[in-house]
Amino acid sequence: MSIVLEHLTKRYGGHPVVNDVSLEIADGEFFVLLGSSGSGKTTVLNMVAGLTGIDRGRILLHGRDVTDLPTQERRVGFVFQNYALFQHMSVADNIEFGMTLRKMPAAERRRWRDELLELVGLVGLGKRMPRQLSGGQQQRVALARALAIKPDVLLLDEPLGALDAKIRIELRRSLSAIQRTLGVSTILVTHDQEEAFELADRLGVMSFGRLLEVGQPADLYQRPATEFVATFLGTANLLVGRCAGESIQLGPVRIPVACPARAPSEQAPHTPPSRSPVANELDAPAVQRVQVLFRPEDVVLARDPAALAVPPFGQGEVVQVVFSGAYQRLRLRLPPLAGVRPIAPPVAFGDDAVFVEALRQQADVEFLPLQPGERVWVGIRHFHALEHPGLNFLLLTDGSPQAQAALALGGQLARLAHARTVVLGYDLQGEAMQRHLQQAKELLGSGLAALDVRMTAEPLAQAVHDEAERQPYDLVIMGFTATNGLDLAETIVQAGEHNLLLVSRPQETPMNVLIAATSGEPGKDDVLFAGRLMRHVGASATLISVLDHGDDAVTRQRAERFLAGGVRSLEILGVPARSAVRSGQVSPTIAKELAAGGYDLLVLGTPLADLDGRISLHGVVEQMLSQTPACATLLVRSTKHSHFGPTVVETVRI
Amino acid sequence: MSQRQAQRADKSQRRQGVPWGRWGLRVSALSYLALILIIPLLVVFQDGLSEGLRGLWSEITRPVAWAALMLTLRTSAVMVIINTVMGTLTAYVLVRYEFPGKSLLNALVDLPLAIPTLVTGVMLVILYGPQEPLGAWLERALGLRVIFASPGIVLALLFVTFPFVVRAVQPVLLSLDRSVEDAAASLGAGPWTIFRRVTLPPLLLPLTSGALLSFARAVGEFGAIIVVAGNIPLRSQTAAVYVWGEVESENRFGASAVSVALMVIAFSLILAVDLIQSRRQGEDRT
Repeated sequence: MSIVLEHLTKRYGGHPVVNDVSLEIADGEFFVLLGSSGSGKTTVLNMVAGLTGIDRGRILLHGRDVTDLPTQERRVGFVFQNYALFQHMSVADNIEFGMTLRKMPAAERRRWRDELLELVGLVGLGKRMPRQLSGGQQQRVALARALAIKPDVLLLDEPLGALDAKIRIELRRSLSAIQRTLGVSTILVTHDQEEAFELADRLGVMSFGRLLEVGQPADLYQRPATEFVATFLGTANLLVGRCAGESIQLGPVRIPVACPARAPSEQAPHTPPSRSPVANELDAPAVQRVQVLFRPEDVVLARDPAALAVPPFGQGEVVQVVFSGAYQRLRLRLPPLAGVRPIAPPVAFGDDAVFVEALRQQADVEFLPLQPGERVWVGIRHFHALEHPGLNFLLLTDGSPQAQAALALGGQLARLAHARTVVLGYDLQGEAMQRHLQQAKELLGSGLAALDVRMTAEPLAQAVHDEAERQPYDLVIMGFTATNGLDLAETIVQAGEHNLLLVSRPQETPMNVLIAATSGEPGKDDVLFAGRLMRHVGASATLISVLDHGDDAVTRQRAERFLAGGVRSLEILGVPARSAVRSGQVSPTIAKELAAGGYDLLVLGTPLADLDGRISLHGVVEQMLSQTPACATLLVRSTKHSHFGPTVVETVRI
Repeated sequence: MSQRQAQRADKSQRRQGVPWGRWGLRVSALSYLALILIIPLLVVFQDGLSEGLRGLWSEITRPVAWAALMLTLRTSAVMVIINTVMGTLTAYVLVRYEFPGKSLLNALVDLPLAIPTLVTGVMLVILYGPQEPLGAWLERALGLRVIFASPGIVLALLFVTFPFVVRAVQPVLLSLDRSVEDAAASLGAGPWTIFRRVTLPPLLLPLTSGALLSFARAVGEFGAIIVVAGNIPLRSQTAAVYVWGEVESENRFGASAVSVALMVIAFSLILAVDLIQSRRQGEDRT
């Protein structure tokens, strides 16, 4: 491997700009990091070059650990978006700069310089000054200058970003050809999909500091694992269907594709070979729903269902027809389908139709001309089920200060976790409600996977119950005060299958989390859901178990074994974790630990539901929340079914 | 042609008739320049050259005058060397580093322009005077006499010209892209090589023009020096102080001659600065 990145992490002011990025790049590979601005892709490149320090992780170039080496000794060629040429030196001097420093003999230097000038297509321009060249030519000089030192790896930071469209395409071709000629391992950073697809042997998609997926361009386009990548690359039709045994039910269509496997029995989470099986299991939602992707070019249109050649998906109305050169883009509107929830293209608030994007070649257009308003049968040639269902957050707000704090923290978490988010306003009337929801929308702003804003006049528990019926949530976030918050929290937590985050005051994104593994009954779920959330946020965790003074050695051993298992699971997820066993009364001990350790999130498990399905928060949770807590508190629902085989069930009862 | 167009054409023609306004403006600006600047200059030159070039030269090369001129040039040269190095350093620190009180320091740089130079002299005498603790210690321990000697003159000049190099280098340094230095580092250049071969070259022109300006300013400095150095012929008397002495003793020709010499020096420096500036602008344009 030419380039190995291990768990790279970098924080600025508490926020992870690069969050646990691991990557291996083969010899001679052209790797492209794709992401929107602020996704952390340039920071990763700067880390490899040694221009940015790293907080955690390791970088190997051709087996050499360069993590602590200065830029000068890393032997990397770097090309900047703005060329960064030495303006006071001629083109030839620019190219020879690195060679001179490496004490290359003059004759060899001249020969290599001339070869490079030929390679980048600037023969005869060696005597020019940079400012006498066009932007494209300057970037060619910068490329030659970076290659002049025969670098181990070539790093390109948006090298075509500052150029005109036409020059960009031209230089893109040259870049690809030069890289293949020299066979130098390359990382290119870009926000331009077309560029990424054309240049990349493999592609990595970054968002909010995390490397979401890595794969060959065609693979990522056709078979993405995450919603973000599905919708970020190209145009996506993304619908949520239901798992039905060995197939997926998407409205009228039964897709003979097995639901992405996450049955507990098939997994061996205790000895995971890689992080993905555990990650999959952790992302298992309470209800087996699945996101199904199909691309516009996989949509077939016909006048009658028999002519589709695939099972009909429904009859829709043509809403929009756009001519785009070789292709025709259509947007179709289908009536609501039972059990199907559309994600992309987005549906306007209050509309329950399903929209489908289609793309046809001109030959098909001539065969079946379509105008807006016409009705047509829709079939889908090829489906892909996403492995990760993604997280769903529900933010509750009544405009109170603690609700504002909950909105802010919830929005931040949603951004980092790529969660689909719904804001539900309650207990506000008329204009005040409108104004508040508008503010909430602005506060949450950009960067959210999806944001819906709704309001309700019903009692909150009922409203949450209705929301959860429509679509199960992973996490409900609300403001909390000790005075009357607990009863409300108790009703909300049983209004669905969700976990609950209680926020009392404004705070930063949690970085240091205390997981009380003994407060709820099974305990394991607390660890797993918290870990799943922290993986996105880039926080570290401490697992704490509180024993009675009277507990015997066996109990203590079990507790320690349980904590060790939890720490391992968290670390597999990329969450740095440690454990602590304390003796004493549960809630005072945890409260003391919380205050002393500088923690900013407390995770508690809710007790198991009783036989009527009721959950009571009275007990440890009540004791912990009897005074308004200093930091946010996450209540994790304990389900009866542990995902962790027999060994865990044994350790679970501490 | 529509009526309105015709009217407009007519109007502009009328305006072209006798452009009083434009000529009036030029004449007043130029005569003001002549009255305030050129005529006094010419008078001094005429006076200095009243006995021919040879007379001027022999007046300038009189031992006392010559010593004063040489002292001026020598102290200014020392000042320029120190100022160039330290001014660049100050500008670099102000641009590249963040530290508490940075904006205050940035504002302080211009302070010497606002302080009357006489006051500058007084401050230095209070600090370095032979009766003062620091001045006495310097003389006792290092044998270094500051007041009434060249070190005092250099100190006064350094104080007075502090802003020139800093303010010349600072904007250029600000506009320099850090990625150019990063590029050099990735090519294997160490910090000193980066500074010498990448950062410094674009600074050379502004640096030179800042240095020349401070030299031109120093050559004519009077207020601070008369306080700090006094008026001891052949020892601490600079050219400007010498001119003042000649005026006081009603030797007009002596005053004019050395004045002409000072002006020629200052004028050629300013000319050089102008040349550098226009070259820089030319570079920016291409």
